Amino acid sequence: MDIIETEIKTGDSRQIGNLELTPLTQVLKIHMPGRRAGLIWNRPKAVVVRTSDGREQILPIPDVTRIAIWAMLAGGLLGAFMMGLMFRHK
Amino acid sequence: MTDEMNPNPPVEAGLEVFQDTVEEFLAAADVRVVYGEPIQHDDTIIIPTAEVLCAMGFGIGSGSGTNADENPDKPSQGSGSGGGGGGRILSRPVAVVVASPEGVRIEPVVDITKIALAGLTAFGFMVGMMFRMSSRRHALPEIVE
Repeated sequence: MDIIETEIKTGDSRQIGNLELTPLTQVLKIHMPGRRAGLIWNRPKAVVVRTSDGREQILPIPDVTRIAIWAMLAGGLLGAFMMGLMFRHK
Repeated sequence: MTDEMNPNPPVEAGLEVFQDTVEEFLAAADVRVVYGEPIQHDDTIIIPTAEVLCAMGFGIGSGSGTNADENPDKPSQGSGSGGGGGGRILSRPVAVVVASPEGVRIEPVVDITKIALAGLTAFGFMVGMMFRMSSRRHALPEIVE
């Protein structure tokens, strides 16, 4: 068994009117050596929408909160790095 | 009949509890955990989605013993140990899938509190670095010409 596994899982399809919705999730599994600890991160990835005429559309599910948090933390690190460079040149 | 160490019933019960816990832990990887039950309102169906993070760790011990028949000079001795573990499950809403006769759309859920805390953390880190650089600069000895 690998230490880190990623998997995309498909859920049960649901019929809503003339649309068929199929949920997709992305699962990250981390197994510690000795299999005495583990972590599972399960998040929504996308929804597959199928119409009655056979057209298929994949709607991704964005995690706006996580994107904003990572962007701010990256901006903070970048700002600190830039300030370090500025003070070093002075 | 040999004087053997009988299996300790609490060990078997502990293993059973451990197995149930592991099964519940692995169930966190199911799709149904992320997508909730749909809610219907007139012609519109709403499906909530959430991110689930589950962590678990455990440790187990073992025991041993000696038989008086093996060494009559020494009495029977035995020792045992146990184990334990812990875990945590975190869940956070991510988005809402809205299915209506007009079509399907994804409405993201924005957690203002988490974003504000991350912003304060980043701002505090930058201010801390700025103070540190400023104090280090002032600590430099002056060169007298």
